[in-house]
Formats: sequence, structure tokens, C-alpha cells
Amino acid sequence: MILSEVPPTYYLFLSAAVFSIGLFGILTRRNALMFLMSVELMLNAANINLVAFSLFWGNVTGQTFSLFTMALAAAEVAVGIGIILVLYRNFDDVDVTKATTMRW
Amino acid sequence: MAGAFDFAPAIILLPFLSFLLALTAGNRMPKGGAFGGIAATAGSLLLSIWMVLTVAGGATYDETLYTWVAGAGEETVSLTLGVLVDPLSAMMLLIVSLIAFLVHVFSLGYMNDEGEVGLPRYYAGLGLFSASMLGFVLADNLLMAFMFFELVGLCSYLLIGFWFREPGPASAAKKAFLVTRFGDYFFLVGVVAVFATFGTAQFASGGGTESFPALAEQALEAGETYFGFDAQTWFTIVGLLVLGGVVGKSAQFPLHTWLPDAMEGPTPVSALIHAATMVAAGVYLVARMYGFYALSPTALAIIAFVGGFTALVAATMGVVKKEIKQVLAYSTISQYGYMMLGLGAGGYVAATFHLMTHAFFKALLFLGAGSVIIAMHHNENMWDMGGLREKMPVTYYTFLSGSLALAGIVPFAGFWSKDEVLYEALVHGLGGSPLLLAAYAMGLVAVFFTGFYTFRMVFLTFHGEARSDTARDPHGVRWNVKAPLVVLGVLAATAGFINMVPVAELTGLHIEFLHKWFEHGFAGLTVEHYGTVLHDVAGYTAAEGVPSYAAGVVSLVLALAGAGLAHQLYNVPEPVEHTQRLGGIRDVLFNNYYQDEYQVWLADTVTMGVARVSDLFDQNVVDGVVDGVSAVSLATGRRVRRIQRGVVTDYALLLSLGLTVLVVVLGILGGWFA
Repeated sequence: MILSEVPPTYYLFLSAAVFSIGLFGILTRRNALMFLMSVELMLNAANINLVAFSLFWGNVTGQTFSLFTMALAAAEVAVGIGIILVLYRNFDDVDVTKATTMRW
Repeated sequence: MAGAFDFAPAIILLPFLSFLLALTAGNRMPKGGAFGGIAATAGSLLLSIWMVLTVAGGATYDETLYTWVAGAGEETVSLTLGVLVDPLSAMMLLIVSLIAFLVHVFSLGYMNDEGEVGLPRYYAGLGLFSASMLGFVLADNLLMAFMFFELVGLCSYLLIGFWFREPGPASAAKKAFLVTRFGDYFFLVGVVAVFATFGTAQFASGGGTESFPALAEQALEAGETYFGFDAQTWFTIVGLLVLGGVVGKSAQFPLHTWLPDAMEGPTPVSALIHAATMVAAGVYLVARMYGFYALSPTALAIIAFVGGFTALVAATMGVVKKEIKQVLAYSTISQYGYMMLGLGAGGYVAATFHLMTHAFFKALLFLGAGSVIIAMHHNENMWDMGGLREKMPVTYYTFLSGSLALAGIVPFAGFWSKDEVLYEALVHGLGGSPLLLAAYAMGLVAVFFTGFYTFRMVFLTFHGEARSDTARDPHGVRWNVKAPLVVLGVLAATAGFINMVPVAELTGLHIEFLHKWFEHGFAGLTVEHYGTVLHDVAGYTAAEGVPSYAAGVVSLVLALAGAGLAHQLYNVPEPVEHTQRLGGIRDVLFNNYYQDEYQVWLADTVTMGVARVSDLFDQNVVDGVVDGVSAVSLATGRRVRRIQRGVVTDYALLLSLGLTVLVVVLGILGGWFA
């Protein structure tokens, strides 16, 4: 199989790149929806790692685990969108820097 | 086998049950719980008699019943509750339970028949008092004694303040509590010192060989030192600390001021607590640990001198009082002075003998005074009385019996015991102790004053013409008042016969039964042992060739002289106050030597000053440190919270930066980059 000839380092670089893009998104964007997407990217970076190591060791536990992570991500998005809706209802905006009323 | 001693704890528990009963169900019981108290103290009395009979058969008992703090090795101490029955505690049990029983009966007449309210509270107080006093008597170690000592003080507070809605009793109760508590602080320190020194506070464990007085004796022989003091000095310090509690409770100078004020309480309470039993607790404590005091001639000399001085000072104050209970209060202080004098002078038997006879005749006098007060519709002023002799003959003759005993007229009880006390002081004083001779002289002068104020009281109350309408038509008293008076009247007349030392000396008969009574018991707790220790360690030697009857005749003459003077001045149809003739001394005596004034002054200046300085220290230094710590936290928090801006991006940034820093630091420390 061709996939097995790709060394795991490549997957790790891919995963790190995806993770960094997600982190960059969180740190620079102000739109809450962009936040959700960035978080998805970071979760999937972790998934890439799980699958890659699972393939490398020939053990399916990691792949099973990544399925769980996807389910979790779906749940998280459902909750997140709910939060964003409430955010919009209260502040007429989805800009996270405006919702600062719960600080000191 | 269930012997008599297995029932010893029941002596304490019975009155305690009556306390619980009166407290919880007193309102629903007839007579406000009185019968429960009477039954309980009667039970205690019967058990006490059984104890005395068993002890008379030569048996003694010392048993630890409950260990509430177990020591974990050689160096730690165990705190226990236990029961000690020996000749001394058996005698005291009999006195306390007898008088508690009679006072409960008397209370039927004094409280119930007079329509007092709050009787369950009264009988609960009496029950708790009887229980704690009996517990104190039975205590087999110093800490247990201290606990019951405090309980006794609490009951005294509750009962003096029985009529707490009036300002007088409430304030007297507080005063009694605070003054005795002042002495008890020293006692508590003394208890801790005993534990720290000996590791035990048992009065008689190991058959008297592992008790703390016995350990002290061994330490003294071995020449040990404690905390930089040689053994004798240290024992004197410890003894004097414990003596602080004794001086407070037994109303010795200068902590006697609470006792006259305590007369604000109901009269049966005065009889039970402030004459016969609670005040006796102090003297009993010294007698209980006499083996320890006998090791320290300094402490003994102080006890004797304080006793003699108190006897004289209190007797002079009793001379001018107008109220019958005040006279009795000062006579109580004075008589306890005699007991302390006896103990300090090496007369262990004499002092305990006086303790016993005094308990009988003083309870009698107080109950007699209570009877007079009922008759006088609660007017206590002797100048409103007079001529009560024909109206209330039972009270008169019993009161007279008690007065003769108090004044020390042969053959009443007080004569034998007081003279033995004075005789012991005299022979040991002549044996080489000038301080004891001085104490003896003060005690002897006090005999004259005692005779005078006693018969002044008798003549003013019962003789002459009635000086008020209530005295012309007094209120009658019932059997429940008369019966206790008769019992105690007979005892006051006859209790002295158990120990007639002068008669024994004259006739050669061995009739000093009390001396023999104290000759058995635990080794180290017998009168012979005390005599040996007194002679060998304290250096007490009795002068030879002083016949006890000679000393008795001297004090009898003085007592008769005092009584005769009272007869001259006050046994006339229309007596007048002769106090004007005293001149300047009169004011001093009326104001009780300004003892209250100077103690209030001390409290106002010294104690308040110290309290103010402590308050300043507390407010500024202690609170300053606490406030400073919180101020630093507050200021830091106020600055640090600025990073919490509410912008979620910042938090994410901080999180990722923190994680990065953590990973880098771990990496450097873990050598990843090496």
C-alpha cells in the first residue's frame, strides 16, 4: 500500500500545520463563527495524529478514537452555535470582543 | 461481689438525676420537684452512712472509673475520673449528704410554703449542687476535683442569683462567681503544674505510694530540682498556686468579699452552700492533699497565718452588722479561718474536726435564721426583732444550741473542735515557730469577738421586747422547718463528744475517736504519716508540757467574756446600738475595712489599665498584622484582575503562550534540546 510508504513525520507536519492554522484563526478573528471553524480545524489536527499513529502501529484503537472525536466535535458545534445565537440576541453581533460584560 | 464501694458513684448520680428530673419535669411535679431532691439526697445519705460503716470496718477504695484521655506511653499523662473512699472522704460524704438532705426538707418550708415561683429551677440547682459537691468529695485526682470545684462554683452562681430579677442577687451572684474564679485561675495553673511535675494527679493511687504527694516526698529525699528550683521551693510554689483556689472558695482574706454578698440568695442556699459545704470545699482540698502541703513549711505557715488573720478580721466585722445573715456570713469566714489555721499549724485532725462540727452548727444557725426570717416576713434586720423566744421556742432552743457551739462554750461541739485547733497552733508555735504563735494569738482574740457577736445576735433576735409589729405577731413555721433544726440542734450539742481531747488527757481514757478514725486508710494518707512528714520535713515539733485543758480554759474564759459583754449590752428589754462608742473604728468596721472599695479600685485602675494596653496592642498590632495581610492581597488582586479583560481572544492567547512557555521550560529542564 502506498500510504504505508509515507513516513509518519509527514503526517505530523500536516497535523501541526492544521493545528497552527486553527490557533491563528482563534487568535486573530473576531467573528464567533470563525472561532468555531478554527476549533474544528484544531480538533481535526488531533484526529490526523490519531489516525496516523494508528496506521503506523497497525492498531485500530486510534481510528476508533478519532470517530469519537468527530462525534464530540459535532456535539460541540451544536452547543457552540447555540451560544452564538444567544450572543447575537444579546449583543446584536457575533463579534467576541464586544461581549465583555462579565469581566470585573 | 457487689460491695458497698460499688455503689459509691450512685452517691453522685442520685442528686444528679434529681437535677435532671427537676429541670425537665419539675413543672409537672408536686412541690416543684422537691420530693425528687429529698428522695435523692436521702438515698445519698443512706449510701454515705453505708460508706462510713464500711470504712469504719477498715476498708478503703480507690478506683479509676473512666479514662477520658489515655496516655500513650511513659512520658504522657492520662486524665481519669475515679472514686476515692477513705476516712476523710467518707466523713465528708456524711456531712454533705446529711446537710443537703436537711436543706431540701427545710426548703419545703422556706420556698414552697412561702409561695415562691421558679421552684423547679431552685430544686434543679440544689440537686446539681449536691451532685457536684459529692463528686468533689469523692474525686480521686486533682483534675477531677478541679472540675467539680468549678461545677460547685457554677451552682453557687445559679442559686445566689435565684431572684435574678432584682439587682442585688444578680450582682451578688456575679461577684461570687468572679471572685472565686479569680482564685480558681491559680488553682488551674497549680493543677497543670502538678501534672507537669509528677505526671499524675492521683491522691492515693497504688495504695498511696504512687500518688503525687508520695512522689513529691521521694523527690524531696532524692534532692531533685524542677525548672531551676530546688524541690522544696517548687513544691511551695505549686502548693500556693492550688491554695489560690482554696482562698477563693473558702472565703479567706483577701478573697472573702463575695461571701457576705452571697447572702442575697435564699437562706437554705446560704446554709447549704455558703456555710456547710461549698465553702468547705477549699478546706477539704487542703486536707485531701495534706501530704503535699506538709512538705512545705512555708506554705503551711502562710496557710496558718492567713487563717488566723481571717478569723480575727472577719470576727471584728461581724460585731457591727445589723442583719442576722450578715453576722452569720462573717462568722462563717471567721470559722473557716480557724480551719485553715488548724491545717497550717499541723492539726490535721483538729481542722477536719472543726470542719465537721462547723458544718453542723453553721447549717443549724442559717436554717434557724431562715426560720426567723420566715417568721419576720423576710425582714432580716435584727433591730426589728426581739422577744421571739416565747413565740418560737423550737427555733430559739436549737438556735441557742448552735450559738453556744459557735461561741465555743463547753460542752457544745464548737468548743472541742475550736480548742483543738487553737491548741495545735499553740504547741507547734511554742515548738519553735513565732509565726504560728502570732496566728494563734489572732485566733485567740477572735474567740472573744466570736462570743460577743454570737450572743449579740441571740439577744437582739430572741430576747428583750419586740421592736416591730411583725416581731409581736410572727408568722408560724411548720414541721418541715422544725425537724431539720432539731436534728442539727442535737448534733451541734453532741458532735463534739467524738473527739474530746482535753477530757481524754485528764482522765486517761482513749476517747479521741476522730484521731483513731484517721489512723487507718491508705499508707501516706493517714494522720500518723502526716505527723511524721510534718516533723521530719516541715520541722514542726510540739512543745511538751502544755496541757490541752489549760488552753481550753483560756479560750473558754475569753468566749464567756465576749458573751458576758454581749449580755451586759444587749440582753436588756430595750437594747440600743452601742456602736457609737467605737468612734472612728465604727466606720471602718461598717465598711468592712474598705475591702470592696480597694478591690474595686484595683480593678478600675490596674486591671482596666492592663486591659486598655492589651486592647491597644490587640487593635493596633495584632489587628494591624491581619489587616496588613489582607490589604496586600486586596491590592495585588486589584492589579492582577486587569488582565481579565473579558475578550476571549486574550484568554486564548494567554492559554497558548502559557502552554508554550511550559513546554519550553520542561524541555530545557528535561534536556530535550541537549
